[in-house]
Amino acid sequence: MSIFSPLAPKQDPPLDDLVNHEVEKKFSWSNLYRSSNMTFLLILTYIGSFFLFGLVALARGANPFGVFGAMLQSSVLNVGSIEQVILRAVPISLAALAVAVPARAGLVNVGGEGQLIMGAVAATGIGVAIGASVPGPIAWVAMAVAGAIAGAIWAGISGVLRTKMGANEAVTTLLMNFVANDVMLYLIYQPWRDKFSSGQPQSQPLAQSAQLPALFGSQLNLGVVIALVLAVVTWYLIRKSHWGFALRVVGGNQEAARRAGLPINKLLISSMLVGGSLAGLGGMLNLAGLEYQLVPGITASFGYVAFLASWLGRHDPIKVVVASLVFSAIALSGNGIQLGFGLDGSIVDVLLALIVMAPLFLSKTRKAAAK
Amino acid sequence: MVDSAEIDLTRLEQDAKLDSTKNLLEVFKICKTFGTLRANHDVSFTLKAGEVHALLGENGAGKSTLMKILYGIQKADSGSITFMGKVVNIDSPAIARNLGLGMVFQDLRLIPALTVWENVALHTKLGGKILRKNNICELIDQASQRYGLAVDPNAKVGDLSIGEWQRVELIKVLLAGAKVLILDEPTSVLAPQEVDALFDIIRRLKNDGVGIVIITHKLREVRAIADRVSVLRGGKQILCDLPAQDITNDDLVKAMVGEFVNPITNSDRGSGSSSQSTLVALDLTLRAHGEGTGLKGVDFDVKSGEILGIAGIAGNGQRELADLLTGARMADRGDIELKGQRLTVAGPKHYRMAGMLGVVADPIREFVVPGLTVAEHAALWLATSSKKLRFDIGSATKWLHQVADRIGLPLAPSSKRLDQLSGGNIQRVILTLAFADPSQGLVVSYPTRGLDVRTAEMTHGLLIDARKQGTAVVLISEDIDELLSLSDRIAVISHGRISGLLEAKNTDRLEIGRLMTQEAS
Amino acid sequence: MNGIEQSLIGGVEGGTAILLPSLGELIGELSGVINLGTEGCMLAGALGAYAVAVTTGSALLGILGGIAAGAFFGLIHSYLSVYRKADQLASGLVVWFLALGLTSVFGTGYVNDSITPLTIISIPGLSKIPWIGPILFKHDILVYLSYALVVALVVILKKTRLGLLLRATGERPEVVGVAGNRPALVQLIAVTLGAGLAGIGGAQLSVGYVGNWFNDMTSGYGFIAVAVVLFASWKPARVMVGAYLFGVVLAASSVLQAHGIAVNQYLLDSLPYLATLIALIAVSKKGGSNAPEALTRALTDTT
Repeated sequence: MSIFSPLAPKQDPPLDDLVNHEVEKKFSWSNLYRSSNMTFLLILTYIGSFFLFGLVALARGANPFGVFGAMLQSSVLNVGSIEQVILRAVPISLAALAVAVPARAGLVNVGGEGQLIMGAVAATGIGVAIGASVPGPIAWVAMAVAGAIAGAIWAGISGVLRTKMGANEAVTTLLMNFVANDVMLYLIYQPWRDKFSSGQPQSQPLAQSAQLPALFGSQLNLGVVIALVLAVVTWYLIRKSHWGFALRVVGGNQEAARRAGLPINKLLISSMLVGGSLAGLGGMLNLAGLEYQLVPGITASFGYVAFLASWLGRHDPIKVVVASLVFSAIALSGNGIQLGFGLDGSIVDVLLALIVMAPLFLSKTRKAAAK
Repeated sequence: MVDSAEIDLTRLEQDAKLDSTKNLLEVFKICKTFGTLRANHDVSFTLKAGEVHALLGENGAGKSTLMKILYGIQKADSGSITFMGKVVNIDSPAIARNLGLGMVFQDLRLIPALTVWENVALHTKLGGKILRKNNICELIDQASQRYGLAVDPNAKVGDLSIGEWQRVELIKVLLAGAKVLILDEPTSVLAPQEVDALFDIIRRLKNDGVGIVIITHKLREVRAIADRVSVLRGGKQILCDLPAQDITNDDLVKAMVGEFVNPITNSDRGSGSSSQSTLVALDLTLRAHGEGTGLKGVDFDVKSGEILGIAGIAGNGQRELADLLTGARMADRGDIELKGQRLTVAGPKHYRMAGMLGVVADPIREFVVPGLTVAEHAALWLATSSKKLRFDIGSATKWLHQVADRIGLPLAPSSKRLDQLSGGNIQRVILTLAFADPSQGLVVSYPTRGLDVRTAEMTHGLLIDARKQGTAVVLISEDIDELLSLSDRIAVISHGRISGLLEAKNTDRLEIGRLMTQEAS
Repeated sequence: MNGIEQSLIGGVEGGTAILLPSLGELIGELSGVINLGTEGCMLAGALGAYAVAVTTGSALLGILGGIAAGAFFGLIHSYLSVYRKADQLASGLVVWFLALGLTSVFGTGYVNDSITPLTIISIPGLSKIPWIGPILFKHDILVYLSYALVVALVVILKKTRLGLLLRATGERPEVVGVAGNRPALVQLIAVTLGAGLAGIGGAQLSVGYVGNWFNDMTSGYGFIAVAVVLFASWKPARVMVGAYLFGVVLAASSVLQAHGIAVNQYLLDSLPYLATLIALIAVSKKGGSNAPEALTRALTDTT
């Protein structure tokens, strides 16, 4: 009797399991259609977030179109505002890169705010101490180094706590923000308080020479150039360097990284140190280029805005900088709303959150797709 | 919700009175495609009450897909399922379970942090909204006595052995009221003696009228337990509902594999290797933590040009041994010597540089980095010695292509993300890297896992080649036949000790099996 | 009344504003989802409760408003992180930001309003016990609610199918799915419910303890609540201890000031955060083994 049913195939199919046979992603018009469709949907969700934001404004009795108009007016419709947007984008983008670098290694740095503050605090300390007695460039370098170190220490503490103690870095960096803020308030209310100013307590201002000079007769200063250079350097480190590759491996699978002989703890801590120093520099540039003295709320939640910007830009340095510029514009446009409509300027936080949420509603993240 | 008081195991006896000539389950012309792949094409089989039906096929033959369809995890494109005379739509595991279909997965679906009774309660809905622990425990005791499934209801599942896990799974499924049991490769994790115990349980269930589908690729098991067989190959049905005694082993193999593959064996086992010990393990000791038994004073030596097989039931120290030999973990006590040099500096990197390479036991956990391509994994393999700032993916890709041509295992395109590839594809990448350059010592864990017959045989050929080139090979496997055909000597590991060291050509399955289950003295 | 007793009374009072969100966060984390948006849910709860209390004149009804507002933001977070597979930490922070923005926009109108806060209820008999009485049994209704919740949670987790389902989901959702339940739904409900509790915690501040509304009034309590759960190794009784501990630290700093002991206010303000950090560090190493498996995976999984 023949044991083979008539169903028996003539040729053997390849003996392999399923996933192997995934459809090749070749170019085709239907793929193009699908991807342009996705872009269209993405744009739609962003429009949706502006729409929702408009509804919020409406609910508070403001004309949404008027609000949008005021926002544009106070952010991008004149040169002065654009320059302000770029200036604010300096600390935001550097703090955002401070999120993006550790994110490569799988760490969540929510401490951009605290690292910005500590960078500004250290820069103030150095700047006030030596600013008047040394030439400007020396003061700048000293302040930058101090700011970077302070930011690195503040982030590094969480890095060490994570690697040595297993404490979750998202929670520790977050708590450190509050500590940093209290440290700053302590300093400007007591030891560093400017005795000659009345009203709101603040630290002594930097000497004229220690302030970053304006460029090309505009409000822009050296800090903008430094931030751009740092963004490119960060891009190279993350995308093209061995270190960046190693961070990706550690972020992807620590056990595999360990077995490949990578020094995991060193890499994790180094990513926090690099990130923290970027944010610290951001705090210093904000101080030396814009504020010139410590005041309560000097960071204006930029650290958190930066966190959102990094997530929106998916931790890719270039996209992160672009997102930071957009968020800087939105953050600044809160002033216009406050002046024009008497609404609390924090209303723009709503828009920021909605914009970051928008793509989440559209498709599953890469993480989900990988599973 | 069923109240515990109503649960009565005599129900199963009533089920035994089901007409054993009628079909309990009829699967008819099931089709399922994934993209371009036909995972199941017109697959049919039937199951009677009190029958054991073996479903045979190689990896990727479509067995798992069929079972997932039966259990409502996936939906068939076409075809029908009839259960106890009624056509049923199984859209979810819950529906399958309510019908009386029970599934014991290969990767056992229990929650380690919970106790046995909690796991059972979770699965069975026994006892209503308030958990009555005593009732549930009593039911577990009843079921375990009836079918010989000894287990402590209060034990934390995470503390149990793999054999006990399987028993908990069976209890759980039975107490949920299963009339049909589907067992997915149930023996793959068991020692020969434990397999016999499982078969005893299956026979008792059979006598109670439970219909059992056993998925396997082991002919021995078909012979031991199956009443009828069906065979799948490449998603298509080759054999359907054939009485087991009507078919010879050769014909079954032919049906499964299609062509007759000449198995590669180590023809000059136990001879020709040099007398010099290349790799020596001395008193390797590692505390047990988490899963596994740890190691308790393991000694052995592997000569240059020798394959030492390590046999044992999963979780008896093989993982720990492989980790120690590749530097992934450090021993609490003991030494590893390579070519007379003690390996003192910790870390996989130094072991690699000293000449110890490894094929990891659990690729997803220990090798695959999500998001990285095949080429980037090659770069990672090479990168351990690089000090350059710039990361050079180009040269790694080139190197991988050269190596792949030389080794001959078919590789996925180097630009593909490795985490999106199948287990077989991942394994071929790992093997290609491990065999890329000759090494002093090579520790290979489960090398043919997930591979089809042809590339599995190629892999065996690569191991023999490495042996010829003078590498000291440690081959860790749970497949005793693979160990017997490739090894020069076989060390059996049990409870973290070497319970026996055997000449491969002078031993057999039984002796190995006995040593595998030997209790620690 | 001496300073220590004052601190302890304040510790229970203020600690309740941490305990309630912590219990909520505990429920969520046991299901395998961490909610850093707890801070936002608290803020929303504080404003929601205050707004309803102002409108209706009843602080008790306000509590319901607090629950609804907190749960709303919890729903957003759980939908994003469970159904859209967004990163839990990022999603939580986005939700916090959203709540921060919305409450400051809608809250400005309430800054100068006044309400009758929740009445202090002395439990007859028990409140007369020296020392313990005033500390434990002379509070508003939310404090007693939190006592009941701790007991209820212990019983539910240990003794009911619901608790088993919750714990199992937090360990291995895929197994729960195969067992015929809907793990995603369990997580959605758990997180939303937990956020509702965070909302009550906010209410405890706005219509209870503080009796006022101002922007960003929770000032990090929600984040401390998350840390307390980690510190307590996911055990309800330890959550209670942890929450009161921080309550006492908070109360002690204001008691010190009231007694004119010259310590800088801002250094005192940072005490709870520092204490949380230190506590977290102290337990991180051994506490981790007790963590729900799915939660650990979510926290170590990368983006």
